[in-house]
Amino acid sequence: MSIFSDLGARLASIVWRRREEREMEEELRFHMDMEAEQARRAGASPDAARRRGMIALGGVERTKEEVRDARGTRVLDDTMRDVAFSVRTLLRAPAVALVVIVTLALGIGGTTAIFSTVDATLVKPLPYQEPGQLVRLYEGSPGEANPHGFVSPTMFLAYRERLSSFEHLAAGYTYDDRGADIGADGRPERIHVLSITAGYFATLRRPPAMGREFEPNEENGAPSVILSHQLWVDRFHASPTALGAELVMDGRPYTVVGIMPGAFVDPLRPGADAYTPLDMTPGLDPSNIDNHYLTVIGRLRPETPLPRAQAELDAVLVSLGREYADARRTAARLYSLKEDMVGPASRALELVLGAVGLVLLLVCVNVATLLLVRASARAHEFALRAALGARRSRLLRQMLVESLVLALAGDALGLVVARAAMSGIVRLGAGSVPRLSALSLDPTLLLFSVAITTASAVLFGLTPALRAVRTDPIDALRGEDRALAGSRGHNRVRSALVTAQVALAFVLMVGAGLLLVSFHRLRSLDLGVDTDHALVFELHLPDARYDSTARAAFYEDIASRIAHLPGVRAAGGVSKLPATGEYHEWGTVPVTGPNVGRTHANVGAQQRIVSGDYFRAAGIPVLEGRAFDARDAAGTPKRAIVSTLAAEKLFPGVDPIGQRLRTGGFEWEVIGVVPDVSVNAEGDREPTIYHAHAQFAGDRNWAITQIVSTSGPPQRLIPLIQRTIAERDPQLVMYRPMSLADAIGAGTAQRKFTLVILVCFAAVAVLLAALGLFGALAYAVKLRSREFGVRMAIGAERGTIRRLVLRQGLVVTVAGIGIGLVGFAAFARVMSSLVFRVRPLDPSVLIGAAAIILVVGAFAAYLPARRATAVDPRTILQ
Amino acid sequence: MADARTELVQGTLEMLVLKTLALEPMHGWGIAQRIELMSNRVFMVTQGSLYPALVRMRRRGWITSSWRVTENNRRARYYALTAAGERQLDAERAAWRRASGAVNGILSARLAPGAT
Repeated sequence: MSIFSDLGARLASIVWRRREEREMEEELRFHMDMEAEQARRAGASPDAARRRGMIALGGVERTKEEVRDARGTRVLDDTMRDVAFSVRTLLRAPAVALVVIVTLALGIGGTTAIFSTVDATLVKPLPYQEPGQLVRLYEGSPGEANPHGFVSPTMFLAYRERLSSFEHLAAGYTYDDRGADIGADGRPERIHVLSITAGYFATLRRPPAMGREFEPNEENGAPSVILSHQLWVDRFHASPTALGAELVMDGRPYTVVGIMPGAFVDPLRPGADAYTPLDMTPGLDPSNIDNHYLTVIGRLRPETPLPRAQAELDAVLVSLGREYADARRTAARLYSLKEDMVGPASRALELVLGAVGLVLLLVCVNVATLLLVRASARAHEFALRAALGARRSRLLRQMLVESLVLALAGDALGLVVARAAMSGIVRLGAGSVPRLSALSLDPTLLLFSVAITTASAVLFGLTPALRAVRTDPIDALRGEDRALAGSRGHNRVRSALVTAQVALAFVLMVGAGLLLVSFHRLRSLDLGVDTDHALVFELHLPDARYDSTARAAFYEDIASRIAHLPGVRAAGGVSKLPATGEYHEWGTVPVTGPNVGRTHANVGAQQRIVSGDYFRAAGIPVLEGRAFDARDAAGTPKRAIVSTLAAEKLFPGVDPIGQRLRTGGFEWEVIGVVPDVSVNAEGDREPTIYHAHAQFAGDRNWAITQIVSTSGPPQRLIPLIQRTIAERDPQLVMYRPMSLADAIGAGTAQRKFTLVILVCFAAVAVLLAALGLFGALAYAVKLRSREFGVRMAIGAERGTIRRLVLRQGLVVTVAGIGIGLVGFAAFARVMSSLVFRVRPLDPSVLIGAAAIILVVGAFAAYLPARRATAVDPRTILQ
Repeated sequence: MADARTELVQGTLEMLVLKTLALEPMHGWGIAQRIELMSNRVFMVTQGSLYPALVRMRRRGWITSSWRVTENNRRARYYALTAAGERQLDAERAAWRRASGAVNGILSARLAPGAT
């Protein structure tokens, strides 16, 4: 009770202060009146009564003070006065205050937002039980440093049978991004379907909420389906009778055997609406040993660490390599699923964490130097107040309050910046960065950065005040700046601070520079296709209404219809757009030419199925021979077009036209050569074989992405193309139309996300560094303005002094750059995995960063020097 | 004035105020008067110590105050004891008895024979 009633009374005293004062006056007057009355009644002489009244009066003021003290509000009263005074003082010289606040806000906001991103996407565990046991399996060629290839069905079956390190091993079909149409009547609806093996959900330890997962005996394309929670709600209105009901996909009925819980997020395809059993019968055919299309995840046994599982896998692969002598990829590597999911971002995010630390450090150093600048400017004021008798504790408290006011303003603005930055990050990475949707400001991290920056603000706010109260006020009043500038030791500390600042700024600037160069190189990369004037979209032909003949006819027909539209240069289709990743890599062997019968004649080549006038639509010229045309129909001999790289590998030294090759179970005659196009957004080239859809439509219902080359902006043609498609088949959906540039961008969105964040962050860091550098050098010059005055008074030229200051500023700057260079070289290796086509110690970036820092340093030293020397020396000396 | 009057022993003022208010609610001047009277004018209560003490005691919840009109038709702030104040008075009284007993014991002690 007492604490609260006490606090309540104190608070009431503040709120009702006026009333309290009035009542106190009245109470004391009453007391004095009664006192006087008593004296009069006792027959005191008027003189004595007056004297007594005077004494009483003298006592009254003291009593009032003591009563006020007893109220316990004195500290709060004074503090409120201090706060008001601080705000007035800060407003009188707003520049430094503003810079400190902005520094704190940018520092806190930026670092917290970045910290939280790192935390959400990298540090937080996967949303599955015992996530540490989850691994992803990739295949590759023996000796490959970082194998990241998909798994062939034959190998997968062997792994599942022979490996004992795993509790479960499961696979998903990698190329399932075409989805399926559901609903037989009216307009079909497109959903995302993922084909999976038995044990997929057991691996994740997230069994269906209702029903069961697939059994091994369904791994033959059985018509079973597991619904996502969302699809169950949308299609079956969350009715339990959905279990065992029928769902028609692509005109084929499937039986619902399971329903996933609402909170489940698929690790391979986060938006999956339904699951079907993966047909593993191709795995029984040894010729599929080089058909890599499976994404494999597994759960290790609790007692098996990853290296032991890897050792067992290596041993199994040795015997598999003997059994399948012609297999090209007989190496495999296990990665932790978490590492795999955050993928290339993880390195970058670790780097960001380091940069966050640097920036926080920089913020602290900046605030320190800026507050020192302020203190030096106010040395006189403090000396004067000390000389007039202000108590030290009072001066210190006022400085404390001032620092806190600054820090809190910075913190508040920092929160605003952090929130804005977070929503920006979420918008930027939406859909491309795994688990970003779970992003929220982390309170612990926020507290951390607020605490550390506030602490530094308070610490460095108090230091000058401490020094000021320790200094003899007489010296300070005489203008002995030396007294405030401190000893040689203090100067050394300050020089060290500035050097550290320059070094930090340099490291951050080089990092930013490298990223910018990477970003630019990535952007201006020649992918081998025309990305700016091409519209792409998907069309899905339901099996029920389109057999292979109808599909072949449809794709050729729609391409020629679209090609005749105004504003269209060419139209065609392809099974996988260029620069959007590897797809359908099949073993390919020459049937003619010099390599026949040689070992290693087998080339892993990307296979692309094209329709219409694909090469012209994509802007790929035909170098030799011809493109596909009406002659390459279903009944004619199979023909292929090869890329330059494929031609060199399959038919070295001979004319590829007319040569024959074998892939996908057929023999093909080469009729043309086209240049290589980038298989991914990084400009990597792979041997590629193109097939005419019309000749290959019988193999499967290929998902052909349409590509339309336009003379104007691609988006403008969408309605026209939609009408054209509707004229041909009103039930078809023009799915996900976008420019080719956007389609490729989507593939690189994660990298772009990382780069944009890093570049923004680096820009903020560099801004902070420049601010800090400026503040620090300005401070050093300010301290010496008196010395300059003396020098000028005894005849020194202004120019000489300015050059002197400039030289000293540059010495500190160059020293800082040197230290920064050494520091950067130490972690250049970390950068090398992140930068693109630029060396971490790229001289032009290093020189550029050094030049910018030098210019900032020179300005930061020169401007205050100019101001210091511009005034009449007499003014300074007075 | 002849001064056999003494300042109050440190810390006893609050106990005496509590005791006074235990008799009846009273204003500040009345409290001072009553303590002087009850102590046969040995103790002198100055307003400089009384009013801060009243504020402190009010803060601790031992007493409450309200404005009332005196018999002479003047407005005055009257103080009254709360339940917490009564408990405090009991506690202080007990502590005082212990302390004064101990002090008296010391003052009336004589040197026992043989003790060094």
